[in-house]
Parts: sequence; C-alpha cells; structure tokens
Amino acid sequence: MSFREKIHWVALAGLVAAFGWYFLSYPWEIANSRAGMYAAVWMLLPVTIIFLVPMIAGTTYFAIRTPKEANLQEDEREKTIHLRGTHVAYYPLVLGIWANIFALINGLNYGWSVNILMATLVAAELVRVGAQLYFYRRGY
Amino acid sequence: MAPTPFTNEIKTLRFLAGEMTQGDLGDKVGVTRQTIAAIEQGKYSPSLEVAFRIAHVFGKPLDEVFRWTNGIA
Repeated sequence: MSFREKIHWVALAGLVAAFGWYFLSYPWEIANSRAGMYAAVWMLLPVTIIFLVPMIAGTTYFAIRTPKEANLQEDEREKTIHLRGTHVAYYPLVLGIWANIFALINGLNYGWSVNILMATLVAAELVRVGAQLYFYRRGY
Repeated sequence: MAPTPFTNEIKTLRFLAGEMTQGDLGDKVGVTRQTIAAIEQGKYSPSLEVAFRIAHVFGKPLDEVFRWTNGIA
C-alpha cells in the first residue's frame, strides 16, 4: 500500500469519527434557531481537533516509517486517481446545494442550513476519499 | 475493469536486468512502485512518456516492451 493510500485511509477514519460525533451530538431540537446556528459553528472546533489529530499523527507515523515514499511527488497514475475522485465527489456536492436551496425555500434556516451544507461537504469528502481508495485498490 | 489492450514484458525485462525490483524501476522512471505493479499487471495504461521511459531503462524499442494484442480498432 502506497503512502498516499495509507493517508487516505487515515483521512476516511478521521472524517467518520469527527463528523459521526458531530451529527450524533448536535442539538437538533434547536436547529431552526439562531442558537442552533451558533451551536453548529462552535462544534466545529472539537470536530477540527478530532479530524486533525489522527491526520497529523498518521501522516507523521507513515512518513517516519517510509520517508522515501513520503517525499515522492504524485505520479501520473496518482494524479489521475486524484482527479477522478474529485470528479465523482462533484455530484453529491451539487445535490447538497440543491437540498439546501430547497430547505431554505421551505423555511428551514439557521442550524438546518449550516448542517445541510456541512453534511454536503462531508458526503462529498467521503465520496472523494472513498472513490480514490477504490481506484487505488483497483490499480487505477 | 477492462484490461489494457496490450501486454508487456516488464517483468521479464526486470528479471533479465539483474532482478531489478519494481521500486528500482519506478525510481528510474519517476513513478511509484505501485504504478509499475499496476502497469505490469495490465491494470493501468501508462502515458506515452512513461512507456518510453520504461523502454529506455531497458535499452529496448517500445514495441519490444509493450505489445498490442487486440487488433487495430
């Protein structure tokens, strides 16, 4: 498994842990209020920590174990995998934006809006990282 | 996933070149060991540039390293 693939696995685990905690802990009963919006914004602080700590630890660990691979630039296959993953992630991003427009029109504001956008971003990231891992596993 | 429409002799050529590893070839060509493995297994079609670089490492013309097998489409 290449250095970049390992980092993708760490990112996937970090995403699931950080945003899994976020969406399970969010006070949904106040979502449609200004307080719900502030709650979402404040919860981003622990989310960032939960996501970044394993990312930094994982990257450091794998970079120490395989320093040669860590210093390599992306080659053409990895660049293609990168681009294809980003392309696939565009679709959930568009769907999420439309969902947010629909929610706003129907009176779901504040925390709902922030959370739909956050869920959109998380879904797009999960699809991107998941697709890239799939392409890495498949060889291309 | 459809296999590439050509075969390659990279594994044999590596062996004949003093049992060169995939990592060594990758270093010479400028790609990762995993990319060389994917090319060898017919899972990834390299760019023309990488194909030429691989052939150059072994001192062979391109068509002795990669062979088209699917007819001309």
